[in-house]
Amino acid sequence: MTVLRATGEHIVIVVIAVVVAILIGVPLGVWAARRARAGGFALRVVDAIQTIPSLALFGFLIPIPFIGGIGMRTAIVALILYSLLPVVRNTVTGIRGVEPAVREAGVAMGFTPRQLLFEVELPLAMPSIVAGIRIATVTAIGVATIAAAIGGGGLGTLIFRGVAMVDSTLILEGALPAAALALIADAVMTTIERRLIR
Amino acid sequence: MKRAWLLLLLFACSKQPIVVGAKNFTESDILGELVAQKLEASRCTVDRRLHMGGTLVCDAAIGSGALDAYVEYSGTALTAILHQPATNDRAAVDRIVGAAYAKRGLRWGPSLGFNNTFAMIVRRDYARQRGLRTISDLRKVEHEVRPGFGYEFVERPDGWPGLVARYRLDVTTPPKTMDLGLTYKALAAGEIDLIAGNSTDGLIESLGLVALDDDLHYFPPYDAAVVSRAEMDRKCRGASAALASLANTIDDGTMRRLNYEVDGKKRDVAEVVREFLSAPRRGGASRR
Amino acid sequence: MPASIEFRGVSVDGILHDLDLRIGAGEAVAFIGRSGAGKTTTLRLINGLATPSRGDVLIDGAKPVDFIPLRRKTGYIIQGSGLFPHRTVYENVATLPRLLKWDETRTKSEAAALLDKLGLPFEKFAARYPRSLSGGEQQRVGIARAIVARPGILLCDEPFGALDPIVRRELQDSFTAIREERNATIVFVTHDLAEAMRVAERVVVFDGGRIVADTSARELPRHEAPAVRALVAAASLPS
Repeated sequence: MTVLRATGEHIVIVVIAVVVAILIGVPLGVWAARRARAGGFALRVVDAIQTIPSLALFGFLIPIPFIGGIGMRTAIVALILYSLLPVVRNTVTGIRGVEPAVREAGVAMGFTPRQLLFEVELPLAMPSIVAGIRIATVTAIGVATIAAAIGGGGLGTLIFRGVAMVDSTLILEGALPAAALALIADAVMTTIERRLIR
Repeated sequence: MKRAWLLLLLFACSKQPIVVGAKNFTESDILGELVAQKLEASRCTVDRRLHMGGTLVCDAAIGSGALDAYVEYSGTALTAILHQPATNDRAAVDRIVGAAYAKRGLRWGPSLGFNNTFAMIVRRDYARQRGLRTISDLRKVEHEVRPGFGYEFVERPDGWPGLVARYRLDVTTPPKTMDLGLTYKALAAGEIDLIAGNSTDGLIESLGLVALDDDLHYFPPYDAAVVSRAEMDRKCRGASAALASLANTIDDGTMRRLNYEVDGKKRDVAEVVREFLSAPRRGGASRR
Repeated sequence: MPASIEFRGVSVDGILHDLDLRIGAGEAVAFIGRSGAGKTTTLRLINGLATPSRGDVLIDGAKPVDFIPLRRKTGYIIQGSGLFPHRTVYENVATLPRLLKWDETRTKSEAAALLDKLGLPFEKFAARYPRSLSGGEQQRVGIARAIVARPGILLCDEPFGALDPIVRRELQDSFTAIREERNATIVFVTHDLAEAMRVAERVVVFDGGRIVADTSARELPRHEAPAVRALVAAASLPS
């Protein structure tokens, strides 16, 4: 297991998980933003998932058929669940943060709900949503190191092996690229965010 | 009043806890608990650190004094700790390991009486379908077999790298690594095809698995023995004497049975060990 | 084409009580009254932003079933303008024309003409963002956005309320100037009596969810109703 291969696996796991979290989380956030009670409930559920310690979540998923078992798939499922909260919460904040006057102007102009969403609400919520994606990505890079405990691959593999062999070099070979990935992801997404808050 | 406190202090000093460790798999936990209960029977105070970590973690701990005793295997000590080449000469292994430990102020022994070698394990129907009986037979499936191991086996010189080299296997799929306990589940579930288990594991039969024969005798002997710090007796008089009574008290079959009690029947480790210590011993010289 | 508006026995629980009102096509009516009197709610009933609990609101004699087509023919100007912050001035004004699938050249020429007339030269302002404009400039864009597609009804909810008196006066003048060439039925909510009399010919006075006066702007100072007298006094108009 070379560092390159482990890094590649790590990136694949994180990217897939975050993309799916966006595909589920943004619509869920839009839905939750519109409904005070059901939305609050949805937010609490997603929040609760995040409070489960990551290793425990991986462990819970193992015996579940179809999405469980050991390996990358389970790791990705767990990461998706973890990445949901920042995405959903920031989508809700972003959409609820649209000024009422602006929203009303759109409605009064005869936008359909769909047009309002895509022409007004989502563009204005975008900086908040991207911030949520950024948080989700950086968190996922860290949590993905635990994936190795259940055979999920990634940089955690090197870290766990290093711990087992009391080999600091091996540990660093896993930890440093993971830290670097997190820093790079954070920097790139912050730049994107800044450019959106014109 | 003051005299009472002084006595208490002296009492406490004379009974500093002996720290007993174990590696992170069931058998090691059982043996660690065995050592602990034996010491407690000799009125020593024991601090347990079972399921602590891998071989090198325990070795580092006993070297630094964080542990006073744990059970190690001769072959593991030889190759993984001392980085010596593996050999099948049982007496030589014992000698080399004993001498090396002595140099570090550690006592090697007594031997518990069984050999727990690595077992390359596959599913029984997988073995039948592909005609696998020995490790050499793996050459038949080298391009399709999906191996999965714990973190240690895949890194140790006497582990996967050495095995593949010795048996000249060209295994295309790189091994998945995961927590050692999970490898059995994953193998039984068909997510991987080959694991490195222990020959004394309790679950091999019950999960429909079978161990392949080490036809080239690649693996060295792994005789289980207690490693302890020389100062252990300073913490509790009679500690090493208590441990000496464990010599040759467990044979392969007994170890397998004890493992099954915990892994298969899901019983509590301490309970199983207590039961074992109170029952008349089978196999090997019975000594109290 | 300007549209007529009619309220028949309209009530909104807790706010309006059994309202009857008729506004002819092309009329300019000001709704006036103290805060909470129900004038804004009545206004919002016209484009469906509020719903009556009883009674009917008729536009051109018919009860609207789907408000979206109606809204696309209704201009709506509010306090704070509600301009889309992520769109330029031109894009804001072009919102409805684009929604109606106008030819882009037509949109551009209409928008340019309108903005010029409102005192915002097109070349200077078209590419700017709302946050770089003053409150008065933003509201001018708001007016342009509301009327560029020549709506049949124009609803204004205290549009100049947040601006200082001088700017407010300027905007009232621009508004009346523009309105002369755009034929629309206008409903203008304000709490400023002087403003009401400047922008409309007819003034409807609300008090406690009911209409207490409905006269021409000129006749209002002579009205007997106590609520009206209070308004007139507060506005300290010359009698």
